[in-house]
Amino acid sequence: MAMNIVVCVKQIPDPADPGELDPNTKTLKRDVKLILDEADSYGVEMALQLVDAAGGGEVTLVSMAPDDEVGGIRTALAMGAAKAVLVSDEALVGSDALGTAKVLAKAIERAGDADLVITATESSDGYTGTVPEQVAELLGLPSITFAKSIEVDGNTIKVKRQTEAGYDDVEAPTPAVISVTAGVVEPRYPSFKGIMAAKSKPVDEVTVADLGLDADAVGWAGARQEIVEIATAETREAGTIIEDEGEGYAQIVDFLADLKVI
Amino acid sequence: MIKWSEEQEMVRKTVRDFVDTEIRPHREELEFGDLPPYDLLRKMFSTFGLTDSAKASFAKRIAREKAIEAGEANSDEGEGTRTRDENTVAFSVIPIIELCRVCPGMVTAMGVSMGLTASAIQAKGTIAQKERWVLDLLTLDKVGAWAITEPDSGSDAFGSMKATARRDGDEYVLNGSKTFITNGPYADTIVFICKLDEGNPAADRKVVQFVLDSGMEGLEQPKAFRKMGIHSSPTGMLFLNDVRVGRDRLLGESEEAFSGSGGREASKASFSIERTGVAAMALGIVDRCLELCIDYSREREQFGQPIGQFQLIQLKLANMAVAKMNLQNLVFSHIEMAAKNVPVSFTDASAAKLYAAQSAAAVANEAVQLFGGNGYMSEYEVEQLARDAKVLQIYAGTDEIQISQIARNLLAED
Ligand SMILES: Cc1cc2nc3c(=O)[nH]c(=O)nc-3n(C[C@H](O)[C@H](O)[C@H](O)COP(=O)(O)OP(=O)(O)OC[C@H]3O[C@@H](n4cnc5c(N)ncnc54)[C@H](O)[C@@H]3O)c2cc1C
Ligand SMILES: Cc1cc2nc3c(=O)[nH]c(=O)nc-3n(C[C@H](O)[C@H](O)[C@H](O)COP(=O)(O)OP(=O)(O)OC[C@H]3O[C@@H](n4cnc5c(N)ncnc54)[C@H](O)[C@@H]3O)c2cc1C
Repeated sequence: MAMNIVVCVKQIPDPADPGELDPNTKTLKRDVKLILDEADSYGVEMALQLVDAAGGGEVTLVSMAPDDEVGGIRTALAMGAAKAVLVSDEALVGSDALGTAKVLAKAIERAGDADLVITATESSDGYTGTVPEQVAELLGLPSITFAKSIEVDGNTIKVKRQTEAGYDDVEAPTPAVISVTAGVVEPRYPSFKGIMAAKSKPVDEVTVADLGLDADAVGWAGARQEIVEIATAETREAGTIIEDEGEGYAQIVDFLADLKVI
Repeated sequence: MIKWSEEQEMVRKTVRDFVDTEIRPHREELEFGDLPPYDLLRKMFSTFGLTDSAKASFAKRIAREKAIEAGEANSDEGEGTRTRDENTVAFSVIPIIELCRVCPGMVTAMGVSMGLTASAIQAKGTIAQKERWVLDLLTLDKVGAWAITEPDSGSDAFGSMKATARRDGDEYVLNGSKTFITNGPYADTIVFICKLDEGNPAADRKVVQFVLDSGMEGLEQPKAFRKMGIHSSPTGMLFLNDVRVGRDRLLGESEEAFSGSGGREASKASFSIERTGVAAMALGIVDRCLELCIDYSREREQFGQPIGQFQLIQLKLANMAVAKMNLQNLVFSHIEMAAKNVPVSFTDASAAKLYAAQSAAAVANEAVQLFGGNGYMSEYEVEQLARDAKVLQIYAGTDEIQISQIARNLLAED
């Protein structure tokens, strides 16, 4: 049975060279070249594996990013995704998580009938970790978070959902929105052929109006969340160095006991 | 070609990620633990889909050659006139550059097997010989070695060659010792270059080449030498003691395949492949040295300031940047020429090889200097790169041999 999967991929400033915060908007400046959020590479890999296992179907990417950015999308296309929907619009500047979810939900609908929508549990730059559930709510779909593995059995999706103690077995009917934990699969390297093919794969570039959304519902205008202040994180205090002269372990035990962890 | 295209940049980044995560962690074993490079190379090839594309293009080439042989296709539209996509050429050069940033020896091992050995059979072999040996070399399922150098014959490779083949009925009996043979200890497929002994004086003997498989009776492949650098490329001797072979192992199945101009053309073609490859290798080494040196010049402080503030250090950095620019331009022009099917002349290949080898060795040596005592320690990469770079001035024709080749051409009367 063919399986069509939409993967939400966020394109973010390269964490190795992240640029800076804009003191006026209190958000990250996004005028640098953006790359595929590593957090989303696991979702892309998971989707490609599911489509392979199903023996047919395709992976479609959905992304919202400034300036028609395709840097990150191309990486995922080179890995094997078939096509993409990219939402890019001046009106989106300042979008909060809900605004983003509204846009992504519409773009997912535009991408066509999907059996499954995959996201990461949280992005590497914004990391509110709230977009996936908002998207599910807006689409009226079941949502499963923190998936460490996904198995499809007919119209049922079986997920091992990571917990502090281990995992829960959770099931939902398709279609559903599932967020995938980082590190649970090994994202493939794009092949040279894949890289060549990526350039000619279709990227449907759309605006807010194309999605039938009101510009007031997104961007600064629609944001119901306000960033009040940005501040530098406190530098961590230097730790205590214990010189081991045979009794080091005792000091460590005392230290842990003080913290009430043992 | 003046810069890497968008796809080429993507390939560069992907290969660099692979090399950093899959190969760099093995540096210690490759350098000091005698870990052979082949499994890592195979992993790299299958990861990027190169094994599959090698199979596909080999199948296409053989089908064409069969059609030509059967008179169903015209050989004029063949290899000689075909242009290639620049990306395709660049994609074969980028892994060389990226691997050399970490492990130039791996490129030597790979280049001799997939480049020299496979192309020697591809150039002169019969279709049956190509089908028997070439594909496995191109996919690295088999490791190849190409053996010309002997204990008493190096720069003067053909002049003082002692290895022989003697006719014996329908067969040949091979004897000789080869040395400094890359992949020698591990090779499955060996191209053995020797002279046909018909009882005539050595100087008059024809050059012939045979393809051998490891395990043949009388063929010995002793363990690798200890050497100064490129530890990840095993180098050893080969001993042949009355190795009996049929005509099916005689390259081209003809004693004349390497006689007259055919032989000279074939070895020039091999030398040209090697020599243009060296420019890409040098670029990788220089690129990495420069990167490491810039960081170190910023971080290391002496006399109350970063050493990058001293003009003598700045001179080193500037010279490295100049070498990098020149090497990159050389590589770009080789890529464009290969794509447009413009052959690199033998003299130009020699000039490029000479420059590339000398600048890589000089840059890596200066990198050690810039790192001071740390530069002399194995823990710092520049120590390895300096030892590795040195070989570029020796194999594939020494600097001195390149110089005399260039000069001979300059002074030739036409
Ligand atoms: C012009 C413009 C400017 C922007 N400026 C900022 C900014 O300054 N700061 C900022 O944090 N964000 C910015 N965004 C992005 C957007 O506001 C965030 O995506 C949104 O706030 C989601 O927050 P999050 O990253 O915490 O999501 P999370 O809930 O942490 O994300 C979870 C998962 O949802 C999916 N997802 C989230 N966002 C996107 C997306 N945009 N496209 C595709 N999939 C996605 C991914 O799979 C992600 O891993 C900008 C976007 C545009 C178009
Ligand atoms: C790591 C490594 C891998 C190798 N791999 C292979 C391989 O796979 N297959 C293979 O067949 N060979 C291989 N070689 C051999 C290599 O090609 C030879 O070492 C090289 O050609 C030099 O030959 P030689 O060592 O005999 O030096 P010699 O020829 O003895 O040279 C000694 C010195 O004399 C100089 N000299 C020689 N002739 C002249 C001249 N006419 N004018 C001026 N100076 C001259 C040389 O430049 C050199 O400085 C390898 C060598 C090394 C070090």
